[in-house]
Amino acid sequence: MMKIDREKATDLVLGVLGIGLFLVLWEVIGAYRLAGLTWPKLSDVLAFLFEPSRQGLFLRAMGASFSMVAAGYVLGLVIGIAMAALVHVINPLRPGMDRFASVVNAIPPIALAPIFIVLLSREVTGMAIATLNVFFVIYVATTSGLQSSTRGHRDLFAVIGASKIRRFMSLDMPAAFPALVSGMKYAIPAAFIGAILGEWFGSSRGLGLLMVSAMQNFQIPLLWSAVLIASTASLLAFGAMSLLERFVYGRFR
Amino acid sequence: MSQSAQIRRSSGGFFLTLVSRYWGVLAVLLAWQAWVSISGVNAIVMPHPIDVLLNIVQNPGSYWQNGSQTLLLAAGGLVMGMALGTLIAVVAWTSRVLSGILIPLGLIFSSVPVVALIPVLARLLGYDVRTVLAIVVIISFFPAFVFTSAGLRALPPGSEDLFQVLGASKWRRFVHLVMPSAVPNWMIALRLAAPPAVLSAMVAEFLMGSSGLGYMFRAAATDFDTAQAFGTSVVATAISVLCFTAATLAETRVNQKWK
Amino acid sequence: MSAPHPQVSSTPWAIDIDHVGKVFTLDNGESLVAVDTVDLKIEKGEFVALLGPSGCGKSTILRLVAALEDPTTGRIAIENRDPLSLSRQHRLGVAFQDHALLPWLSVKNNIALPYKVAGRPVDHERIADLLGLVGLKGFENARPSQLSGGMRQRVSIARALILNPDVLLLDEPFGALDAVTRRHMNVELQRIWGEERITSLLVTHSVEEALFLADRVIVMSGRPGRVVKSIAVPFERPRRPEVQRTAEFHSLADELTLALEPEEAAAS
Repeated sequence: MMKIDREKATDLVLGVLGIGLFLVLWEVIGAYRLAGLTWPKLSDVLAFLFEPSRQGLFLRAMGASFSMVAAGYVLGLVIGIAMAALVHVINPLRPGMDRFASVVNAIPPIALAPIFIVLLSREVTGMAIATLNVFFVIYVATTSGLQSSTRGHRDLFAVIGASKIRRFMSLDMPAAFPALVSGMKYAIPAAFIGAILGEWFGSSRGLGLLMVSAMQNFQIPLLWSAVLIASTASLLAFGAMSLLERFVYGRFR
Repeated sequence: MSQSAQIRRSSGGFFLTLVSRYWGVLAVLLAWQAWVSISGVNAIVMPHPIDVLLNIVQNPGSYWQNGSQTLLLAAGGLVMGMALGTLIAVVAWTSRVLSGILIPLGLIFSSVPVVALIPVLARLLGYDVRTVLAIVVIISFFPAFVFTSAGLRALPPGSEDLFQVLGASKWRRFVHLVMPSAVPNWMIALRLAAPPAVLSAMVAEFLMGSSGLGYMFRAAATDFDTAQAFGTSVVATAISVLCFTAATLAETRVNQKWK
Repeated sequence: MSAPHPQVSSTPWAIDIDHVGKVFTLDNGESLVAVDTVDLKIEKGEFVALLGPSGCGKSTILRLVAALEDPTTGRIAIENRDPLSLSRQHRLGVAFQDHALLPWLSVKNNIALPYKVAGRPVDHERIADLLGLVGLKGFENARPSQLSGGMRQRVSIARALILNPDVLLLDEPFGALDAVTRRHMNVELQRIWGEERITSLLVTHSVEEALFLADRVIVMSGRPGRVVKSIAVPFERPRRPEVQRTAEFHSLADELTLALEPEEAAAS
């Protein structure tokens, strides 16, 4: 452990150093205009972001976007788990569902936007795309997780005469839990991407709209602020999920 | 291999295979058709599938020109991004300090919605076709870097001791052990990066382009030419599915040889 | 801690393990004596088996000889040289319990790997000879995933022999195999070794395996690892499998088993 601890400490120091260097580089490039006028200093972006008069603007945009992200995430999670459980119990459905999920993954969301706009509305298109993105990640993670119980355990449940439902509840589900939580982690940025993309196709609210209008109107600090908010939120949620994942791996594996 | 297996089966068996593999996709298509027929929505809001098809057949030139441009940008950007990500991963592999600094940054960037960087990059690099390419390169870079980095460290059990006892130099260890070990992970990165490559090319064209499928889609939407908008969607989907399928097939083939 | 032994610049031994000790630092900062002053000389062309319970430090000794670890005290010499310089000259052959075949290479290319690592031209004739010797003719282009466990170990042994190493190191090479396959592989290894007669060090926890293969069996006890017994094996070579059914074999096996389990010996 002495050695391993030192390794970990080195990793931590280098990681922090890397992030620090990245932020300094951001500031320096902005300060000396190394990338032109459209690369602002980090300090300018932060000052812009925390300017009290703009709190309302950012809070409204965050409220609109994050509610789409959250709704899409939960919907995708529920549908993904439900579909994975369905094809696990009724196995013949599995190839078709697998194919469907991979087609959903391969279709660029921009191509689905017109359908969603017609079917639903412009405001919830982001949620719909987020749902699809999350569904794919969760479905893949859960189906592979449900198959991760070992042969020995399955044989044990067969020998003690457990019903299929019993086995599913007491063996397959807990065995799938670590894979599901990993999926939930990777679904976070997918949900954010979905919501932002949806907002680019004509939503009247949200961070995505801020980004596009700031881009078109050369409002550079506003553009970077919106991107920074979305990225930080995704990173924080991802970090929280990583902690949960670590706990679950310690408990279930 | 699956083709010959399918031919050997009876036509009934073939039909069953088709249904068992594509019931999900078929169900969605049927639901669409049923919804259009039953609700009888206005063709401007929701075009009939046949109108979409006609639009594509009647405008082969503009579909071909814009579609091939988007495909080239996506595929070229994907290849360049993968190459760049691999190169940086290899450079990071050679140094404890570099990998300690770069790998956490790579992980951070893969946990944020990188697509949100498109407007920033568009402003930084200017509205230009080269910017579309650069965006695809940058978005493909992160999975390539993260997965190759992990692959360069996922060596077969016992192989490190073996190479040490055999007295391998660092260079020979890299060529004969480390690089081949990373291949399966590299293929995963390729498969994961393919759909976002097509998506980001289209989104970049949509946001700032003057040509390409994304621009065509936007122009059609602005003119309320829904048949053309849906036609663009169909072509984009075809291109994306093509890239994804090619990447998946390549991965399967490589894994057959590699594992 | 200095070696009480006078330092001699030249010894007649193929492998000279000279008062070697190895201490590991544990997770909690405490130190564990894995090997406590082991002194072992192996002659050129001799086959020595290190026998002991798991955790007795026998694998550590092999790893020290393979230059995978550095001794804490004492020194190790192979043909009067530092083990590391031998491995750098590609003069060590090794087979692990974990076959360590590269999954993306064919059988032939796995066996050819040491040539590539050494930067030497591949001798295809030598590969063909070894494939015949280990009984894998016809499997040149198979890949490791297509082979059984026993066949993988044959490939691993052929790979260990390919460069005509000065020393062959075998770390439980058949430890992961079932009993029947293992016995069969022992017969094969005995035959293969008879052809090449390379100085060999085998680490095993099987009494029968050690007796059947080795010229000398060294019994180790654990925590800290030290040598408790050494016996010379009297059987003529080439050895036939029947030798394992002789009374002499059984009495030697009993002797070794007793040495392995001193508590039971004291209780009886």
